[in-house]
Amino acid sequence: MKRLTLLLCALLMCLSACGSQESDALASLAPGEEHRLTVYTSHKEEVYGPIVKEFEERTGIWVTVVTGGTNELLERIHSEGDRPECDVMFGGGVESLMQYETDFEPYTCSEADQIQPGLRPAGDAWAPFSSLPVVLIYNTRLVSEDQLTGWADLLDPRWKGKIAFADPSVSGSGYTAVMAMLVALGGDEADLLEQFADNLDGKILMDSGDVVGAVSSGECSVGITLEETAVKRRSQGASIGIVYPVEGTSNLPDGTALIANAPHRDNAVAFLEFVQSADVQELVVSDFSRRTVRIDVADMDFLPPMSQVSLVDYPIEQAAAEKERFLQLWRELNREKTP
Amino acid sequence: MSSRSIRSSFQKKLLARFLVAGFVPLLVCIVLVTILFRVTLNSSTENRAERQLADMSERLHTLVLGCDDVLEQLQESELVLAALTGEREATEVYSFLYDATGQMSRQATFSLYDGEGQLLYTTGTAAPGERLPLNWGLLYAAREGAGLICRRASEYDKVRHGSMQLARAVWGEDEIPAGYVTAELSDDCFRHLFEGTYDSGNDILVLDRFWGTVYASPTLHDETLAPRLRAQLLEGESLSIAGSNCTYYVQEEPASGFALVMQQPKPVADWIMQLLLWVTVAALLLSLLLGSQFSMAFSREIFEPIRELNTAMARIEEGDLAVRLEVRGTDEISQLLERFNLMAGRLKENLDNSIRQQQELGDAQIRMMQAQLNPHFLYNTLDTLKWLGKINRIPEVSTISANLADILRSSISADDFVRLGDELALLERYVEIQNIRFPDKFVYQTDIEDETREMLIPKLTLQPLVENAIIHGFEDGSHGVITVSAAQRGDELTVTVQDDGCGMSPDSRARFLAKSGAASGHLGLYNVDAILRLHYGEKCGLKFLSPRDGRGTCIRMTLPVRTRTDKEDATL
Repeated sequence: MKRLTLLLCALLMCLSACGSQESDALASLAPGEEHRLTVYTSHKEEVYGPIVKEFEERTGIWVTVVTGGTNELLERIHSEGDRPECDVMFGGGVESLMQYETDFEPYTCSEADQIQPGLRPAGDAWAPFSSLPVVLIYNTRLVSEDQLTGWADLLDPRWKGKIAFADPSVSGSGYTAVMAMLVALGGDEADLLEQFADNLDGKILMDSGDVVGAVSSGECSVGITLEETAVKRRSQGASIGIVYPVEGTSNLPDGTALIANAPHRDNAVAFLEFVQSADVQELVVSDFSRRTVRIDVADMDFLPPMSQVSLVDYPIEQAAAEKERFLQLWRELNREKTP
Repeated sequence: MSSRSIRSSFQKKLLARFLVAGFVPLLVCIVLVTILFRVTLNSSTENRAERQLADMSERLHTLVLGCDDVLEQLQESELVLAALTGEREATEVYSFLYDATGQMSRQATFSLYDGEGQLLYTTGTAAPGERLPLNWGLLYAAREGAGLICRRASEYDKVRHGSMQLARAVWGEDEIPAGYVTAELSDDCFRHLFEGTYDSGNDILVLDRFWGTVYASPTLHDETLAPRLRAQLLEGESLSIAGSNCTYYVQEEPASGFALVMQQPKPVADWIMQLLLWVTVAALLLSLLLGSQFSMAFSREIFEPIRELNTAMARIEEGDLAVRLEVRGTDEISQLLERFNLMAGRLKENLDNSIRQQQELGDAQIRMMQAQLNPHFLYNTLDTLKWLGKINRIPEVSTISANLADILRSSISADDFVRLGDELALLERYVEIQNIRFPDKFVYQTDIEDETREMLIPKLTLQPLVENAIIHGFEDGSHGVITVSAAQRGDELTVTVQDDGCGMSPDSRARFLAKSGAASGHLGLYNVDAILRLHYGEKCGLKFLSPRDGRGTCIRMTLPVRTRTDKEDATL
């Protein structure tokens, strides 16, 4: 009986062994650890795609890209703790990145002196990538140019229920916009908010991507969005006009962060350097319709230079700290309004 | 208990043998066949796939080298250098271009870009004012790199004429390139290149150095395949995951560093192998089940009758001879049971017989004893008679009473057997008495062999025979002779009593032969016959022989020869 079972086992082992020669050939094709990099990104594919590809070709490093929402990815990085699987966080607005600075390793790029001073975070906790001014847009067929000049106009009852605006509790850019407005207009916050909420008349969009569409289709007359989106859609033929609020607007950057204890630190540093380099920054301008963070790179000709755009002193830390309270207030104000 | 352990070991042995006979050959057979099948099938398809992949790689290699040759040629050419700075006529340049590219222009699109990235000349179609960025992508790499640059065209590139791009920078006198020469391979080109090199049903991928998709065969619609394979490569997993229905083969093309991947549907899908496995397991289980079932049934078939036999024999041991077994079938075991039944039957018969014989003996003894009166009284009375006869001088009275006393003494004695000589002596006393009662009625004579006198016969067996002759033989008043003879024949003693009287009527004889108990008048004969048969067996009863001269009765008894010494040995 024992001999039988031994024989059986031998036969079965032969069976299984007939299959595993492939793995050795494959192993020679796979890159070693020193040629790998893991990047978490919240950017769209048309943004990270070319950058990652060029980085791979130039350095020979294989990049694994993980996509997701900014907060989702930052939470994940945070939960990975001391043993992160990720090397670089590519994307995320300053407000989000600020909250997770403890998970990053501060790194000063070699060309950091070329970065616009106002955009660099304290201690270079992360590296700015591009900046995104908030703009007002209007439907060129419904609204004439002089009717919309700044934030104050949004409180005008003539636009009641016709404002395209993304819910700040869902959209980061929505929150930034409303904060910028409050700072720009000054005065009693609660009051202003109430007026604004009133004027929105309960018509709030759930996705910042919907804002341009709502305005260009005529459903709304005016809207608040990021310059990048507005410019791109306009160049695609949407009938919208762009207004930089006279009272001033925000120009918050998004960034790239080196994760603390990254498994491939050297490669991550190379990536950060690359992203801050003039080559990539020129791409940011030429292909992504964004504003560069470098002084030595020029924005697109048809965009007004930042020097001419009036900016408010956006209180980044305060805005982050107050967000909860604000959102609660916002929810209350809108409770009666929602149909 | 022991019967159970016998049964269990018998069953175990039987089971083991059945299983080995049924299970093991089946298992070995299936395993070998499966292995052979899988190995030969897989290896042949593997070989084929690998050969084809090698062939494809070879073709791509040739193409890349061919393109590179052209690019090199263009790179070194004076004319091209001049053309890049606008010092040549378009027709001249194009003529040279087509010359240089020759056959290759059918497979790839060759282009010339100036130092600013502006497209100047191309063998393919181009939109006016096309330009490539200098600090990005292909031209950047051509400038920074040493020789041939080979890369995948990105979907984000605004200007592209193909999926795979090769480029060389054209160097003037200084460090900045005067321009660039590029070759681009389109999807169509790849399709033509690989036409007929792989089996239909298979698909191929051309991947760049980082496993980004350069080209996918037209029938491959799964866009997630390349990213998946890349992820598996990075994870260190095998490309052909168990459970998927395709095998993947990879070959690197050395000139470009690109990888060729062939997807081949498994000749025997994994689910078929699974099914085979399940069928195998089912078949083995079935054989196991059947084996054990049959062995159980078989052992039961054999063992049940044996167990029954065992129990029956135990009951016979305990004395129940009535037990019989039910016989089903005609095989050896059934025959065994039948013989057991017969044996039990004969045993019972024997026992019954011996009981009956015992009883008969007992009865005879009882009867004899009943016939006996208190001996002392009889002796004293006869003694008195004898003396009275003597005193009164009547000699017949004393003779009769003396003889009678002897006869009585002998009949009362404990011995069952007496010497023939003694029995004859007793017989003479009897005859003496009868002679006095019936004077001149008969003559008594003997014919005795001397050796026979020492032989033992049961006591009082001759007297009734002679009495029978006297009473019934001479009933009709005739007068005759009674002869008693004894002879030894071999190891048998024959004692014959013969008279020439009237003989026994056939009726009486029949009644006697029928042994119908107390046949009246012939009680003596009956008793003797019974005694003889009891002592010596059924065959040794009284026999009637035809008398000499045809008249009278002849009764013979035949007994085995026994002497006193035999008897003593027996009793000791």
